[in-house]
Amino acid sequence: MLLEAFVVGTILCGFLGIIFKKNLVMKIISMDIMSTGVIAYYVLIASRDGLYTPIIDRTKDVNYADPVPQAVILTAIVIGFSIQALMLVGVMKLSKDNPTLETSAIEENNTP
Amino acid sequence: MIDTTVAWIALPFFTGFVIYLVPKMARWLAIGIALVSAAYAGQIFLGEPLNIQLLDSFGVSLIIDRLSGFFILTNAVVTAAVIIYCWQSGKTAFFYMQATILHGSVNATFICADFISLYVALEVISIAAFLLITYPRSDRSIWVGLRYLFVSNTAMLFYLVGAVLVYKANNSFHYEGLLGSPSEAVALIFLGLLAKGGIFVSGLWLPLTHSESQSPVSAMLSGVVVKAGVFPIVRCALLLEAFDPIVRIFGVGTALLGVFWAIFEKDTKRTLAFSTISQLGFILAAPEVGGFYALTHGLVKSALFLISGILPSRNFQQLQSKPINTLVWIALVIASFSISGFPLLSGFGAKILTAKNLLPWQVIAMNLATVGTTIVFAKFIFLPHKKLVLRHDDKADASQKIQSGFWWAMLILLGGLIVANIVYYEAYTLQNIIKPLVTIAIGWLAYFVIFKKLVLKLPRWTEKFDHLIGVMSLMLIVVFWMVRV
Repeated sequence: MLLEAFVVGTILCGFLGIIFKKNLVMKIISMDIMSTGVIAYYVLIASRDGLYTPIIDRTKDVNYADPVPQAVILTAIVIGFSIQALMLVGVMKLSKDNPTLETSAIEENNTP
Repeated sequence: MIDTTVAWIALPFFTGFVIYLVPKMARWLAIGIALVSAAYAGQIFLGEPLNIQLLDSFGVSLIIDRLSGFFILTNAVVTAAVIIYCWQSGKTAFFYMQATILHGSVNATFICADFISLYVALEVISIAAFLLITYPRSDRSIWVGLRYLFVSNTAMLFYLVGAVLVYKANNSFHYEGLLGSPSEAVALIFLGLLAKGGIFVSGLWLPLTHSESQSPVSAMLSGVVVKAGVFPIVRCALLLEAFDPIVRIFGVGTALLGVFWAIFEKDTKRTLAFSTISQLGFILAAPEVGGFYALTHGLVKSALFLISGILPSRNFQQLQSKPINTLVWIALVIASFSISGFPLLSGFGAKILTAKNLLPWQVIAMNLATVGTTIVFAKFIFLPHKKLVLRHDDKADASQKIQSGFWWAMLILLGGLIVANIVYYEAYTLQNIIKPLVTIAIGWLAYFVIFKKLVLKLPRWTEKFDHLIGVMSLMLIVVFWMVRV
C-alpha cells in the first residue's frame, strides 16, 4: 500500500513537472519521471503474489512474480525510450533558434 | 484466414523498411500496400466476423468484423489518394516509408481487441505521425510535431496505468475486462483514448496539428489517424453496454464543441480541423453505425484538406477577393455537399443512418450540430470562382500549379463518395430527402443572415501547450465521475 502511494506520487510529480517546468528539456525529463512511475507500477503489480523471478525451479517451493506485466512493460520501456530519443532530436533542432528553450517563447514564435 | 490476417498486418511494416532499401520503388510499393488493404477489407465484408486469440489467454486478441472493415477500407482509400496526390511532388522515400508504416499501424488498431496491442499500435502511430508532421524540417513543423508527441505520450502513460489495473482485476488485457475493472481503470483508459482521438476538450491539440502540417499529411491525420483513437472507444461501447451512454454523451458534446469553433474560424485549414472534431462526435453519437460514418467522413475530409492545399490563400477574407479555378471549386462543392448531407452523395446516407440510431435525448443537439455543419460548409460553397483562362506565356506555370495527381486523388475520393452512396440506397425515401434539404436551407439562411458578417474572434489560449496537458487531469476527474454514476 505504501509502495503504491509512492508510485502514484512519482507519476503525479512527473505530470505536474510537465505542466509547471518552463524549459522544454525539463519537461521531457518530467515525462521520463512519469513513465518511470508507470513502469514501477507494473513491477509492483507483477509482484503482488510473490517476489521470485518467474523462472521455474522445481527444487524450491516459492511464490513467483507474475511474468505478464513484466513482459508487457518491457515493450513500453522500449517505446518510451525511443519516443524520448526522438523528442530530444527535435529539441536539438529547435535549440538553434531558441537557445533558452523556454517553451512559452518557442510556442509564441511558432504559432500562427 | 488467421494466416492471411497476420501476414496482412505484418506486410506494411516489412514493406516500409523495404521502401527505404529500394527508394526507386517507393511510390509503387506504398500504393500496393493500400490496394492490399482495400482487398482485405473487401474480404471482411464478404466473409464471417472473426475472433482470433493468438497464443494463449495472455496473447493477442483480434476482432475482425464489418465495423473494422469500414475503417480499414477508409484507411486504404485515403492512403491511396494521398500517395497519388504526392506522386509528382518529389517527396523522398522517407515520406512513403512513414506513410506505409502509419497505414499499417492504423490498420492494427482497427482489428486488435486487447489493450496492450492497442497501446503498441497507438505509439507506433504517434512516432510515424510525428515524422510525417516534421517532414519539412522547419522550426514550426518541429514544434507542432513535438507538441503532438508530448500530448499523445502523456495520454498514453495514463492509459498504461489503466491497462495494468484492468489486468490486475481480470488477469487479462482483453477489452471485455473493462467491465469488471474499477472505475479509475476505465477513466484512465478512456482519457488516453479521448486525448488520442481528439474528442471533446482533450482534443484541442488537433486544430493546430492538422492545420500546420502539409496538406497530404493533414489529409491522412484527419482522414484516418484520429479514427485510431475513436475506434477502440466505439468498440468498447459496442462490446459493453454499460459504457454506451458515456460514449454517446461525449459524442454529442464533441459534435457541438467542434462545430461551434468551426463556424467562427477564419482560416480554411483550421475550419476543417475543427469540423473533424465535430464529425468525430457524430461517429461516437451512434456507435452502432459509426463505421459507415467514419468511411464517409474519412473520404470527404481528406478530399477537403487536399483541396485546401491548392487554394490560393488560407484566409476566407482573401479568398473572397481571389476567385478560384472553377474545376477546383466543383470538387470543393461536391465534398462540401456530401459533408452537409445532400442527397446523391454518401454523406446523406451516413447522416440518415446516424439520425436513425440516436437516442431521443440526443436528437435536438445532433440536429443543431447538423445545421452548424451546413453553416460551416456554406463558407466553402459560396467562395467566388471563375474559369481559368490560360494564356500562352503562363500555361506552363498554371499546369505546374495543379498536378494531375491531384485530379486522380479527387477522382478516387469523390468517386468513393458516390459509390458508397449506393450501399445504403434504402435511405432514399421522400421524408429522408426532404429533411436534409430543409436543414441545408436553414443553414444557408443562417449563414447569409447572421454568420457571414459576424466576426467573433475566439481566444486561442485553450490550445496552449500547458493547458492541453492540464486539461487531461480535469478530463480524468470528469470521466471518473461519469463512470461512477
